[in-house]
Amino acid sequence: MLGAQPIGYLFAAPFVIYLVGIYAWPFFYSIYMSFFDYFFAAPGAVVERPFVGLANYAQALQDPLVHIAIRNVIIFLVINVPLTVAISMVLATALNAAIPFRSFFRAAYYIPYITASVAAVGIWLWLFSGFGLVDKILGPLAPKPSFLVNAFWAMPIIALYVTWKGLGFYILLYLAALQSIPKELYEAAKVDGASRIASFFAVTVPGLRSATLLVVITSVIVGANFFTEPYLLTGGGGPDNQSVSPVFLIYRFGIQQNHAGYAAAIGLLLAVGVLIISAVNRFVLERD
Amino acid sequence: MATAVTEKATGLPRTIEQRPQEHRGERGSMRWVRLIALAIGALVFIFPFYYMVVSALQKTPNPDLSGAFPNPSSLSFDNFVAIDRAISLGRTLLNSGLFTGGVLLGTLVFGALAGYALAQLHFRGRQAVFYAMILLLVLPFQLLMIPLYVLIARDFGLGDTLLGMILPYAINPMAVFIFRQFFLQLPPEMFEAARIDGASELAILTRVAAPLTRPAILTAALITFIGPWNEFLWPFLITKRLELEPLAVALANYISTVAQRAANPYGTILAGATVLAVPVVILFLIFQRQFVESSIGSGVKG
Amino acid sequence: MFSSRHGLLAAGVVLSLSLAACGGGNQPAAGSAKGAIKIWYSNNADEVKWGEAVVAAWNQSHSSEQVTGEQIPAGKSSEEVIGAAITAGTTPCLIFNTAPAAVPQFQKQAGLVNLSSFSDGSSYIEGRTGDGAKQYKSPNGNYYQMPWKSNPVMIFYNKDTFKKAGLDVNNPPLRTYDQFLSTAQAVVTTGKAKAAIWPSPTSEFYQPWFDFYPLFIAQTKGKQLVEKGEPQFDSADGLAVANFWKQLYAKGLAPKEAAQGDPFATGQSAMAIVGPWAIAVYGGKVNWGVAPVPTKDGMDVSSIHTFSDEKSIGMYSSCKNQGTAWDFLKFATNKDSDGKLLDLTGQMPMRSDLASNYSIYFSAHPEYKLFADQAGRTSEVPNVPNSVEMWQDFRGAYSKSVIFGNQSIDDAFKQAAAQIKTLVKS
Repeated sequence: MLGAQPIGYLFAAPFVIYLVGIYAWPFFYSIYMSFFDYFFAAPGAVVERPFVGLANYAQALQDPLVHIAIRNVIIFLVINVPLTVAISMVLATALNAAIPFRSFFRAAYYIPYITASVAAVGIWLWLFSGFGLVDKILGPLAPKPSFLVNAFWAMPIIALYVTWKGLGFYILLYLAALQSIPKELYEAAKVDGASRIASFFAVTVPGLRSATLLVVITSVIVGANFFTEPYLLTGGGGPDNQSVSPVFLIYRFGIQQNHAGYAAAIGLLLAVGVLIISAVNRFVLERD
Repeated sequence: MATAVTEKATGLPRTIEQRPQEHRGERGSMRWVRLIALAIGALVFIFPFYYMVVSALQKTPNPDLSGAFPNPSSLSFDNFVAIDRAISLGRTLLNSGLFTGGVLLGTLVFGALAGYALAQLHFRGRQAVFYAMILLLVLPFQLLMIPLYVLIARDFGLGDTLLGMILPYAINPMAVFIFRQFFLQLPPEMFEAARIDGASELAILTRVAAPLTRPAILTAALITFIGPWNEFLWPFLITKRLELEPLAVALANYISTVAQRAANPYGTILAGATVLAVPVVILFLIFQRQFVESSIGSGVKG
Repeated sequence: MFSSRHGLLAAGVVLSLSLAACGGGNQPAAGSAKGAIKIWYSNNADEVKWGEAVVAAWNQSHSSEQVTGEQIPAGKSSEEVIGAAITAGTTPCLIFNTAPAAVPQFQKQAGLVNLSSFSDGSSYIEGRTGDGAKQYKSPNGNYYQMPWKSNPVMIFYNKDTFKKAGLDVNNPPLRTYDQFLSTAQAVVTTGKAKAAIWPSPTSEFYQPWFDFYPLFIAQTKGKQLVEKGEPQFDSADGLAVANFWKQLYAKGLAPKEAAQGDPFATGQSAMAIVGPWAIAVYGGKVNWGVAPVPTKDGMDVSSIHTFSDEKSIGMYSSCKNQGTAWDFLKFATNKDSDGKLLDLTGQMPMRSDLASNYSIYFSAHPEYKLFADQAGRTSEVPNVPNSVEMWQDFRGAYSKSVIFGNQSIDDAFKQAAAQIKTLVKS
């Protein structure tokens, strides 16, 4: 039967249609496209789009640019996840005490998160350009060529930028999670003679496990997803393609070069990758 | 994936403000260390914004440290005038507003309906919808932008239209999730009583459930607001005409193509960035209390 | 809700059907249909002036075939804007800003009308441009673009900076690579300019047109990047050009970072690679001089070729009244309209009789004469499949080896040549 309140179908219908239209249909359509040499043509035009089987996938797995993009996601995660977890956990713990100016601090940490990335990138472009403030302060220690055009530094700077921008959100997340750690655990640790730092590691860190899981999963999603940074901050995945991201490649291949089938294949490979990593994360971090 | 987290967090979102936890006596020195650390951290977070505004106000770019503390006489609104001439701020701000407003409307109306259905209405397939939603929360739709572009620009012919810009964001799944969590926490007996009184489901939602979940509505509205206002990639793909571009897209295009030829490119860019960032920051400061408190609970759950 | 969604779908279907009805490009009816049309022209101020004037002149005498002119949507590169408009079926009839490098892709998208299908199509194009028109033919032998105007690139230099470096400001040593390098070193040593020359070091596919390609064309006396399916840059000449640029980067005479503002206008660089448009742009700001691009051992000025930086006119398949569009295209490229273009923008109409036709103009504006002379010896980007991708690949190899020095030029060019060879075949 339909259930006790079939009107639920009507209420949920717009959302279901939305999910089907914006996610499910494009998902299946991109599977279809990925098997063809699909390209965008004028409406109604009769063009030949040959079936290519798995060729797009084979090409994607061999494409050096795709390898760089995947390497960059790994660099991103290696820098972003530990920094985010460590800094936001510590700052959240510090903010959780009765201290003056709490609302001010909280607002301060949150502001980068709510700022449009285009605006924030504008600031970083100014700060980190070769004649910018950061190079000026570092003086002779500044890398040559400067950060954003330096093949070694471009990607770490992007990772740092995203960490900086997102930290406020994770601090709030940890703050909320801290509320559900029973006070008694801290008291018990104190009775056992544990120092403040020891109880942080014995009580706080394990108590925040589910929030940490969320941080890691979100970082993977962001890592698979960033586009504005290589597009604007490093001027089109530069220097020398060293900061291309998967979504940036999808844009370059699919929209700029009109190899939509190939771009769709890359997108699908990545979507599957994200789902697998999320599942593995959950499994690893929630074992017990 | 997120459900696991969800099930662990129980109860209505708590207010952190009122329950600072570590009341254990601590020595004054520790307090100061903590405070100084927080202050340094805050400086790292806030300085770039201060620097953005100050640099936007400077007539000539000054990348030296002294540029951060300029002589008031060297300040002017020239850069704001220049960026307005380049990307007509009024028009693009309006576009950002329309885009954001459309998404808000869709999310609040259809998202609340869906959240209510998922929480309090019993119909077959409800679980399936819920799990589909959870799955999609971890699947970035950017990866599907090529087929989505075909669908919206080609099949629907909505390239360079407001509707085409709004559709992929029309109902924020995160907001639906928040609505569901809140409606779930209301006692089912209340709904049963209303049904026995003969109220329609729509009436129950609007007259009984909605007034009790104002924090959820506010949270959903604020989370949803940030998305389209700050979004770049999709509107960038779908709009080619300045008359339709939201400010974030127009500014990005200015950065990538026009700025190189400008007299004071960074000043102009930062003036645009200031105009883009300030409305959200002001909104945030106004709603800060509710936002922080209520988003946290749902955030952990989401 | 279901019903409204279906409504939307239905609207979509109807829309695509109606677009299909007027698209297609090969329908015989469209080729001669007359009526109102829409065109796009470039969005720089001078070309807008020209566009408005030509449209107004046409509309005065064609009340039933009115032309509406608009600036091409600004923002991203026009290639991307036009590509998206083709996909959406929203291109105007004519675009007076069609990049030859993008034509193969637009053609593949079925977005362009074959101009040779008009009875006087090929003859009109070749009659106006002469033999040079052949470079704009597509591999199938037809014209999908009308070569319109070129901006043959040359070296602009800042006379004040050169003077400070003790160089001859009227005839500076810029003929050979060695001369160019020592001149570059001299101007940077004075400290007056941060860089000798500052081409954009970023990765956009079109950047080679303003650093490597003009010098490559000069060095090879007019070769294109790819000829008859064979990449030409992996050769002694190509490597010589690349090594020349590499030295400029390695010695810090050309920066690896994008400039802040226009480096030549702001005096940050002493030289720039530019077309005749630069005369109007820099005229009041910089005390400039002009020289042809350098070659390895120096060549006679009259035999130096360069990159044309040409823009074509494309007719797009979404156009209903193609008869009017073709008539207007001829009107906009007749002797008067071309003269107006030269007068208003300083850009060179693609006419074989350029110098003789507008001798009055050139004697009144002698500074444009050199460019007009250079316009007779230009090469274009090759009209090959996957052209944009080819340039992107080339830029990748160039940037890695020449600008950043992370790979030997020999290896990078060899790999890129192999890659490009397969690309342009498909």
